[in-house]
Amino acid sequence: MAEIRLERATKTFGQVHAVRELDLTIADGEFFVLLGPTGAGKTTTLRLVAGLEKLDGGRVHLGGRDVSALAPAARDVAFVFQQYALYPHYTVFDNLAFPLRSPLRRRSPQEVTRRVEEVAKLLRIESKLKNKATKLSGGEMQRVGIGRALVREPNCFLMDEPLSSLDAKLREDLRVELKHIQRDLGATILYVTHDQIEALTMADRIGVLEEGRLLQVGTPRDVYTRPASVSVARRLGSPAINLLRMDAVPGIAAPSRARNIGIRPEDVQLNGRGIEAEVEQVEHLGAESVVVLRAGEERMHALVSGGTSVQPGTAVRAELSREAMLFFDEAGQRVDA
Amino acid sequence: MAESTLTAEGSRRAQVPVGSRGRARGLSDRAVLLLFITPTLVLLLAINIFPLIWNIVLSFTNYRANQPGREIKWIGLRNYERLLGSEDIWGYLQVTAHFVCWSIFFQVLIGFSLAWLLNRQFRGHAFWTTVIVLPMMLSPAVVGTFWTYLFQPQSGIFNYIVNFFIDAGDFSMIGDVALAPWTIVIVDTWMWTPFVMLICLAGLRSIPEYIYEAAEVDGASPWRQFWTITVPMVLPFLMLAVLFRAIENFKMFDMVVELTSGGPGSTTELASINLKREAFESWKTGYSAAFATILFVTVFGAANIYVKFLNQVKKR
Ligand SMILES: Nc1ncnc2c1ncn2[C@@H]1O[C@H](COP(=O)(O)OP(=O)(O)OP(=O)(O)O)[C@@H](O)[C@H]1O
Ligand SMILES: [Mg+2]
Repeated sequence: MAEIRLERATKTFGQVHAVRELDLTIADGEFFVLLGPTGAGKTTTLRLVAGLEKLDGGRVHLGGRDVSALAPAARDVAFVFQQYALYPHYTVFDNLAFPLRSPLRRRSPQEVTRRVEEVAKLLRIESKLKNKATKLSGGEMQRVGIGRALVREPNCFLMDEPLSSLDAKLREDLRVELKHIQRDLGATILYVTHDQIEALTMADRIGVLEEGRLLQVGTPRDVYTRPASVSVARRLGSPAINLLRMDAVPGIAAPSRARNIGIRPEDVQLNGRGIEAEVEQVEHLGAESVVVLRAGEERMHALVSGGTSVQPGTAVRAELSREAMLFFDEAGQRVDA
Repeated sequence: MAESTLTAEGSRRAQVPVGSRGRARGLSDRAVLLLFITPTLVLLLAINIFPLIWNIVLSFTNYRANQPGREIKWIGLRNYERLLGSEDIWGYLQVTAHFVCWSIFFQVLIGFSLAWLLNRQFRGHAFWTTVIVLPMMLSPAVVGTFWTYLFQPQSGIFNYIVNFFIDAGDFSMIGDVALAPWTIVIVDTWMWTPFVMLICLAGLRSIPEYIYEAAEVDGASPWRQFWTITVPMVLPFLMLAVLFRAIENFKMFDMVVELTSGGPGSTTELASINLKREAFESWKTGYSAAFATILFVTVFGAANIYVKFLNQVKKR
């Protein structure tokens, strides 16, 4: 496996700056997750690494080698496409075997069969090997797409929302499985997702992308607890972080430049102390419940245990944990005390 | 048909709670169904099925359409015996086979290549598509006629161009026994290659770009991409084009009549041209009805086998 390094990578489509001067180094064996809203340039970044898109500026290095001018085949990366991109006229087996039959990777037929069956078993599609690729459900196609990347031993894996069309159970299983595979192989994976749970559970590091720029790079813990800006803070966590005006919480010693307070729903406690609020709504999620509160003009969420007895329409007191508070300045950047 | 009947049944059953009132008020679903399909069925019977059956009946008689008063005799399989025993018929069928096979061969080769080039979406590809498609829009009789001028040994541009490259002297594409069968192949190819090209182009356009990208990432060379993606995915389209062209060329008449009238000798006398001669010049109606029946069964049978094969390819 190899290290991925982007140096001031830039890509524009006409007026659209899809990726702007992106600097990013992903270490050998690292699981790196790119997170960002739709249109942020996540797919474009992957395509730049794979060589499917030509750089308008900057360089791409794989394993210390400058591959900016190389064709996709020569870069030896594996790509899992957002739209699966299976070969529709082939069976699942032939789809999985396709990369192994490349002249660049001469393998004996027995070896191909062994490897394909191994991967099919891992992804639980061994019973579908003889099916045509078009006669599969969306989730099965996606697994074939992942399998086609896994049969190879590439420099790195590029995965574009590979679990997006699986049901919750399978997604959870595959999440664990993929992480396992990655550890076993020591694989370098650049992984794109919308799903923050995927990002938080699988990533060694997360990069938050918006409008082609990296807003923050760090470990999941880091990005979650110390977001660099309001947009990063909003990207992670469900329900999303509460943003309150400074005067909503009186008597707080805050940095002078601070204009907003950010507080995660799990750091809001309904324990009879703190600010007065009215319960607007209670959403039961099983193990936990989300309580929607109104305090003056502010609305906020509190994440409490599932057995809560608060009723809509009643008055409560909400305590905001002082240590967990984040402060943001006028421009939305975090300021430290 | 079977399906629509089923739906009609189903909806009528669904109406049962409404009871007899619903039926009394108007036509039943089945009656409406019949009302709609009857005109089509009648037309089909009158202009397709009846002539076909009548033709088969006539093929067992000695009927001559220019002698209406003559007694019509039932002669059994005599017409068929004469036809299949005649060497001339095999000659005409050979001419037809030569024409059908070679014209399709060239049209597929050139049509697919042109489609492949046009699919690269270079600047002005839309303009070139229109230009290439023009011959297809002409009337076959017109095409046949003006190519006779292009093939003129002394003044025709075709001979001029050939002589520009190789010193071939005076030769006649239309008058020469060896060249004439190729002449009709050339003109038909000129006229109908665009058709094959259009269908291939539709096939090529139907292949999503990301499949090529996946193949590229998987390390497939352009050559391998062509053989493992482009060809298999265009094949059903191409086979459909071949089916259309084969059926059309099997009954080719107008263009060749204008171009060579079947000559010189009978080197370009296609089965359809001979059939017209026997039926409406020699007035051997019964005999030519038998010939028509044989041709029909051949085309119909071959097309059916071919369509089965085509479905296999699509399912693969
Ligand atoms: N081939 C293209 N031509 C023109 N514009 C493009 C092209 N590909 C992407 N873009 C634009 O570049 C921007 C980034 O697109 P990209 O596909 O990278 O987004 P994304 O982060 O992957 O979004 P999503 O989460 O919806 O997949 C978008 O504004 C998109 O419209
Ligand atoms: Mg995308």
